[in-house]
Amino acid sequence: MISCTEFIMAYSELFAFLEERHGKDALIRFWEGLSDEFLHNLRELVAEKGLAGMHEYWSHTLTEEGGEHAMTLADEEFRIEMHRCPSVAVLRRSRHLKPYADYCEHCTVLYRRVIEPFGFKCETIIHDPVEGRCTLRVTPLPENAGGG
Amino acid sequence: MANVHKDFHGCLSYGLKFLAENYGPAEVEAYLRRVARNVYSPLIESLRERGLPALRDHWNNIMSLEGAEFDLHSANDDVLVLEVRRCPAVHHMRERGYEVWDQFCESTRIVNDEICRRAGYSSSTEYDQQNGRCVQRFRKEAGR
Repeated sequence: MISCTEFIMAYSELFAFLEERHGKDALIRFWEGLSDEFLHNLRELVAEKGLAGMHEYWSHTLTEEGGEHAMTLADEEFRIEMHRCPSVAVLRRSRHLKPYADYCEHCTVLYRRVIEPFGFKCETIIHDPVEGRCTLRVTPLPENAGGG
Repeated sequence: MANVHKDFHGCLSYGLKFLAENYGPAEVEAYLRRVARNVYSPLIESLRERGLPALRDHWNNIMSLEGAEFDLHSANDDVLVLEVRRCPAVHHMRERGYEVWDQFCESTRIVNDEICRRAGYSSSTEYDQQNGRCVQRFRKEAGR
């Protein structure tokens, strides 16, 4: 069994494997499929509770995964300021492994695909992929603003 | 202490299924052997240097962290047996409603095989995926 504590390394290896052997398009198709088939929990929370559902989802997952972050929920915005991404921290600690170069890109594909169909704009800004610093910012599209 | 986020098992199961459905079982095996060589290179090195106590420590740590029901026992210095009565990965995925890829437990057999072969050991894995149980045996190869 590959332990869930070792998963991030196996995940990074899967990204590299897919790109090296089948191209970047194959990797993006994998991320899109993962988003569609795996993130039901997030999708249901966003459908039911909108921005508050995102806050609920990441409150749970980031508590389990660890890391250092600040999460804010306002009427018209949900934001995560990631100061030390727990996944990137695992890869940094794993000195025997060469991390997949665009590792952080998967979050952009996975989460945008779940969130934006519900009438939100989902932006991810990678400040420092080596240190694991990024911003996830979700706001209602203009036609949906004002409803919380 | 390591962070334990068991939903990652579901993510891995999806990844293996994606590889199998799009590129075939040989690509699943190639990926898992790569994981064994690269992710577990410190374990391979430790197994070479310390022998089966290295594997015993690895499994004891992993299975305890994940809350498995398991036993580790040795008939002698050259054999280690890991008996998993309740696999944390399979049971977590079932409890959370994640699809368990129908060949998911093959990942254990293949990763074990690659780790052991590289360190001069052999392994066998008998599993009952439906019930989330397996018996894994590790043996020092003759003459190594």
